[in-house]
Amino acid sequence: MNAIEVSGLNTFYGKSHILHDVSLFAAEGSVTTLLGRNGAGKSTTMRSIMGLTPARSGSVKVFGKDSTKMAPYQVARLGVGYVPEGRRVFPNLTVEDNLKVPQGETGPFDIPRIYGLFPRLEERKMNLGRQLSGGEQEMLSIARALLLNPKVLILDEPSQGLAPLIVKDVFRIVTSMKAEGISVLIVEQNVRMTLEIADTAYVLDHGVVVHHGPAAALAADEALIQSLAGASAEEWDLDKA
Amino acid sequence: MELVLFNLANGLIVGAFYVLMALGLSLIINLSNVVNFAHGNFLAIGGYLAFTLTPYIGFWGALLVSPLLTAVFGYFIEQVLIRHVYARNHIYSLLLTFGLGFILQDVCRFIWGPSPLPLGIPDILSLPITEELFFITWYRVFMVAVVIVAVSGLFAFLRFTRVGMRIRAGTLDLDTVSALGVNVAALRSYNFAVGSFLAGLAGVLAAGQIGLNPNMGDDLIMPSFIAIIVGGVGSLTGTLLGGLLIGVAAALTTVFYPAGAEAVIYVIMAIVLLIRPRGLLGEEGMLT
Repeated sequence: MNAIEVSGLNTFYGKSHILHDVSLFAAEGSVTTLLGRNGAGKSTTMRSIMGLTPARSGSVKVFGKDSTKMAPYQVARLGVGYVPEGRRVFPNLTVEDNLKVPQGETGPFDIPRIYGLFPRLEERKMNLGRQLSGGEQEMLSIARALLLNPKVLILDEPSQGLAPLIVKDVFRIVTSMKAEGISVLIVEQNVRMTLEIADTAYVLDHGVVVHHGPAAALAADEALIQSLAGASAEEWDLDKA
Repeated sequence: MELVLFNLANGLIVGAFYVLMALGLSLIINLSNVVNFAHGNFLAIGGYLAFTLTPYIGFWGALLVSPLLTAVFGYFIEQVLIRHVYARNHIYSLLLTFGLGFILQDVCRFIWGPSPLPLGIPDILSLPITEELFFITWYRVFMVAVVIVAVSGLFAFLRFTRVGMRIRAGTLDLDTVSALGVNVAALRSYNFAVGSFLAGLAGVLAAGQIGLNPNMGDDLIMPSFIAIIVGGVGSLTGTLLGGLLIGVAAALTTVFYPAGAEAVIYVIMAIVLLIRPRGLLGEEGMLT
């Protein structure tokens, strides 16, 4: 079964048409990535899946259940953990209180286990969200989503603004989620590193899916990466890998 | 000197009262982005309900039950009216609550009549605390005590319960709270009910001091808005500070320049906004 199934999605911000018939499938138990340049519509796709920016037409299914018209909290309760772009930790709440906001299923992840996975968060549990470094905020944002005990984790540009060493940490965590049986849908600009951990890759450009296939095949095809990236190949952080 | 002390005490009492009113308003502004112009009428309803209930359950019973009923009423109003304008431009909620205020005022007039009514308070509360401090009755002390209990209770609720944490988180980022599985529509309803509870409580307290009339909330709502703006939108601690500040400032101005007592709170607001546009403790990016 597919963890997430998006078909023919059209999403608008006011009058501007952002997503054009976007379809993508995130298979259960695998890591799926959505790549593309800045402004390609990646985050909008994630927001449409979550119900934060509802699609005008098309459909979204989460584990076979139609969630197109659902409110974000209902989508979350279908088993979707969402790590938004820019992390969006609650700046006015302590780390510990940030972790108490999610309302989801009980399961393997509870606050003690989260502190075991992210010792740094336990050290800083009385600090406010706004006092954390970018890397700590990313950990907190992922931890918060895990506390919903999700069946699928959506990460929107987790590496954004982080030092390369921290990015490696984040990607290690993402890979370990697969071992926990959690499906992953990850949006990234950091192409090389993402293709290393992903099973399936989609590429979005100007709101249109321009490529999809096995991640390994895309990773091996330098020319294809360059052509999909077009003039802005540099933005893809090729040299970071 | 005695006059200054009297007015200082009086200012703190009035300020405590603004705080109660303004915190309720502030809660609703923070989570729902609705400036509830009918808040003063929720206050009146709380007072009148106490008037009706007192013969049956006494003043002490009414002090608790009347705010609870006001909360239920607020919850109902939020469900039926207010929630439908959240997604719209601010002007809709302003017009809606402004109109609602007039309707509620007429409802009070229709049920309880246009003339002022007294709310009976227990005899002990109407005595002065000592012969020297004849100007301070036990009722005033009692009012401050109730405000302290209510405000501490509110802050503890927001700080230590999960619902409270979600309300604080939602103040700055409701979308993310929603994406984390929290039913934010319900959260807003509860929050509106809590705000209405505070208005109802303020109504009972005010009724014991100044009696009841259908537009009793009108004179209290403007200072409450100013308390919020001075303290900074988005910060409840700021609202607390703002309420006390303008209460004391207005009372002390009465001593030295009585004609300026009404104007001084607006002057304070202007000065604060000139120096610090987001208010004393305001969160950046609120109400934009």
